[in-house]
Amino acid sequence: MAERDWAISADKLSLTFNAGPIWDRQQYQVLKQISFAVKKGETFGVMGRNGCGKSSLLRILAGVIKQSSGSLRFNNIGSRSLLTLGLGFNNDLSGRDNALLSLMLQGEEKAEAKEMLEDIKDFSGLGEQFELPMRTYSLGMRSRLGFATGVTANTDLLLIDETLSVGDQHFKYKAEQVMLEKLNGEQTVIFVSHNSRQVNKLCEHAIWIEQGAIEASGETKLVAKEYRCFMRDIK
Amino acid sequence: MAVMRLKSEASKLVLSYLWWVIEPLLYVTVFYIVFEKLLSRGGGDFLVFLMLGKIPFLWFSKSINTAANAMLTGKGIMGQRDFPKHIFPYSVVLEASYKQVVVFLLLFFWLFTQGYSLSQACLWLPLLILSNLSLILSGSMLAALRVVYLQDLRAVIGMGTLFLMFASGIFWDVRSIADPEVQQLILTFNPLAFLLDAYRQILMHQTSPDISYLLVLTFLSLVLLGLVHWVYARQSQYIAYKVLS
Repeated sequence: MAERDWAISADKLSLTFNAGPIWDRQQYQVLKQISFAVKKGETFGVMGRNGCGKSSLLRILAGVIKQSSGSLRFNNIGSRSLLTLGLGFNNDLSGRDNALLSLMLQGEEKAEAKEMLEDIKDFSGLGEQFELPMRTYSLGMRSRLGFATGVTANTDLLLIDETLSVGDQHFKYKAEQVMLEKLNGEQTVIFVSHNSRQVNKLCEHAIWIEQGAIEASGETKLVAKEYRCFMRDIK
Repeated sequence: MAVMRLKSEASKLVLSYLWWVIEPLLYVTVFYIVFEKLLSRGGGDFLVFLMLGKIPFLWFSKSINTAANAMLTGKGIMGQRDFPKHIFPYSVVLEASYKQVVVFLLLFFWLFTQGYSLSQACLWLPLLILSNLSLILSGSMLAALRVVYLQDLRAVIGMGTLFLMFASGIFWDVRSIADPEVQQLILTFNPLAFLLDAYRQILMHQTSPDISYLLVLTFLSLVLLGLVHWVYARQSQYIAYKVLS
């Protein structure tokens, strides 16, 4: 890949967790030697079963936590934003306040963030609920707010974790449209899902992670096929 | 964030903002009933004495204990992006301080109506409050870090503030200790006892507190705060790793 074409390069990323009292420390290897490269402006897919380490990988890519070993390099990527299933919100605050906090933590100025709030309200389709505390929201509403906040913010890298699997048909369609738009745009997107069909629809290249290690990588069609065969066999 | 939290807290409770004042008053009432009425341990102006101890102490203890859990309430958002983690203890202290301003103003006004006059010593009040605030800030920043380095400390922090409540002369007067050496020892090595005593010196006895002590205390608290701040900045991702794992 030419020097200016790549956005992310991960080389042998590993992550270990320690647990238990000090006299009986257990080590869990969550990620084992993960390597891949993502092109600028690409929508890159990561698939795998629940608990395979997808979310931990996303957290490392988002800079939330640091890998235990291996190297991760970014090319011209300033701001990163991670969208997960609508968690990460304070339940007692209104949707508006949550979105504002979220944007400001992402580095937006307060004035700019306030201007974006109307777009977020529109996109999420929450209407009057936008002003109510998050504890009154359903799971679908949370993920709609999370997704709307994430795509409205101007980030260079957007990391999406299974968000599309929640929400009603109409919102799913809207979200997929935005994702397809981003496919042709400047923004680099990493899309994580246990659903190979969704990944296939949106991404050109993908990796499949099983028990913390890469099982297959390359063109999404081929990776998705292998993944589906594997899932069928274990059933 | 602190302002938003205040707003949301107030919206949940029926009496809303009145709780800012009711809560400290309830504490004072309980202490007053036990010590003045049941044990007859008070004196002429015991109520004023008690308020000037308990109300600043509550500012300290509530901040520290809330800060000790602050990181866990931020777990969700911490899993989404990297940002300075010190905003959790800071917003806790800021929230408690907003309430404290209201409570202090009411307290000072009440003292004034009780016939306690303003004196020159009152000029030291801002320095005293600043000193108190810097102690609370550095203490809260440390307390919040416990999640990361020693999960088990939570119970110890609760016990610690309880111990300080007994050891800082809230319902008894440090100056009534017969042995002057012990008295000096407490006032020197328990900054909280010194601060509470200083509130009383200024507002009840119209006397200036030991200014050099106040300045040194403020300075040391701010140095400690700077150090802990540095740890937060260096360890941001490690903090998230510990909170999330």
